[in-house]
Amino acid sequence: MKVYVNDRPVVLTHGMTVRHALIGADIMSRFDSSWRVYDEWGNEMGLDGALSEGSRIYVRSEDDLQNGYGDSRL
Amino acid sequence: MKQFTFLLLLLCLFTCLYSDVSAGQTEIRILYINDFHGFAEPYKPFGSDNFLGGIAYLAELVEKLRSEKPSVLLAAGDMIQGNDWANLFQGDSVIAIMNAMRFDCMVLGNHEFDFGQEVLKKMITEARFPVLGANVEGVENIKPYIVKQLNGVNVAIIGVLTDETPVSTHPKNVSGILFLPPAEVLPNYIAEVRDKADLIVVLSHIGYSSDRILAGKVPRIDIIVGGHSHTKLAQPAKVENTLIVQAWEHAKALGVLDITLDEGRIVKVDGHLEEIRPVEGSEKQDIALTVKEYRQKINAVMQEKIGQAGTDLDGENVRKRETNLGNFITDVIRHTAGSDAAIINGGGIRTSIRKGDILTGNVYSVLPFDNYILSLRLKGKQIRETLEHGVSAVEEGAGRFPQVSGLTFAYSLSAPVGARIRDIAIGGKPIEPDREYTVATNDFLAAGGDGYKAFGDALRESSVFSVTGGVIISDRIVYNDNSRWLRDIIIAYIREHQMIAPSVEKRIVEVP
Repeated sequence: MKVYVNDRPVVLTHGMTVRHALIGADIMSRFDSSWRVYDEWGNEMGLDGALSEGSRIYVRSEDDLQNGYGDSRL
Repeated sequence: MKQFTFLLLLLCLFTCLYSDVSAGQTEIRILYINDFHGFAEPYKPFGSDNFLGGIAYLAELVEKLRSEKPSVLLAAGDMIQGNDWANLFQGDSVIAIMNAMRFDCMVLGNHEFDFGQEVLKKMITEARFPVLGANVEGVENIKPYIVKQLNGVNVAIIGVLTDETPVSTHPKNVSGILFLPPAEVLPNYIAEVRDKADLIVVLSHIGYSSDRILAGKVPRIDIIVGGHSHTKLAQPAKVENTLIVQAWEHAKALGVLDITLDEGRIVKVDGHLEEIRPVEGSEKQDIALTVKEYRQKINAVMQEKIGQAGTDLDGENVRKRETNLGNFITDVIRHTAGSDAAIINGGGIRTSIRKGDILTGNVYSVLPFDNYILSLRLKGKQIRETLEHGVSAVEEGAGRFPQVSGLTFAYSLSAPVGARIRDIAIGGKPIEPDREYTVATNDFLAAGGDGYKAFGDALRESSVFSVTGGVIISDRIVYNDNSRWLRDIIIAYIREHQMIAPSVEKRIVEVP
């Protein structure tokens, strides 16, 4: 299935999760305590959250949110 | 008598002043969790500095909230698999806790199938609450729905789970079980309960985005209590006339939804999440004791002897050369997936095991990550690319260095990165660049971890994908079982064979 991390496509097998999407987008190894993952409606998701075809997730830091950045700079 | 009448009047006045529920209105409360995955103890989530969760703390809050108004406590699936606290007891520990907390019902999640059908059957039998699955055929003793009376309100709760369950677990776990699309089965059940229910709740394990689609597609659902996507819905969402709620994951939050009804119609809704933080003294004592008892059992399991190592198993040098422990683990992976070859990242192997007794805890130390096995069809040239990447940073001791089974290769550090690999053979024969081979790996590499790209490329090339009778039909994915962690498969293998003594076999050879 194809999902999007910060609007970048990542291909995963069914059953893979937010964590795998971040690995595929080369973000997981840099993930730190100020970062959170959000769905396209702005709700935070857990790293083990299920994804489906076409899911869009966004990684944002607390700084981004406080500064009102809509898109991630990560 | 006068005194009694005065007190009664005072009570009425108090009720009128401090309650916003008008005469004739009824208040009920829905408490909910989802995707617990056996995380009974507080933990620091990845990337977080603070402890969150703890089922004993959540249970105490449930008791407090229950005492305030008539309530139901719901679980939206994936309760029994994930954390070792659940896995080592195949979910028994979780059911014990759920019984003690007096859950009103749960819906099956896809991970409830992970320990096989016999364990699932046992779980359903031992649960002292109904287990729901309206879109599942072939599982004994589950119900499509229940109707619960709360403060005079009849609440129908219909359970549905993802029909993608067969593609992410071992086929034997779902053999003979049919998963129907939730949107196809719900209208019939809604029609069935409509006359006897004031409120229709769908307890769903299909994920938030699918819940939104469901709400737009199927009319007359009042509330969807969801799970699967581990979504932290701080406030209820609304799609058409349906409210959707979900409470994150791992008992890190308890969902609270207060509903006021007037003659069967919802007139007010107030929902929020209570984050669970382990503050000492705020835990429910009996639940805390059960959590502790299972922790003690885990400690005993970790000390259990499962077999013997006939030689030292080298987990120290896995980032720079072939090791016997790397060979052993990749051999088990290859055999489990029935593949031509297996490739994993050496960095996934974290320590060695000394010659002598092997304890369960030793394997947990060697393989601490929650990885599972997949196998994909790769072309010979993609295998070459994979190995080239694997040896591209040997000098730095990078975790990407491969450990392999079913294949041999040589590499030269004096050659430039990208042109280091020589003489790849699978099954003793030189690989052909355009021939396809089945290559097993772990989910970390398959997702592109440690910079491995070939597995993702193979998936991108995949054009056929379907599920027939619980079996994955794909032109690229040949094995995909996230129901068992790799370390549990290794433990089972050692238990079965008792003595292991792998050796280094010149699978990986450094040449000048």
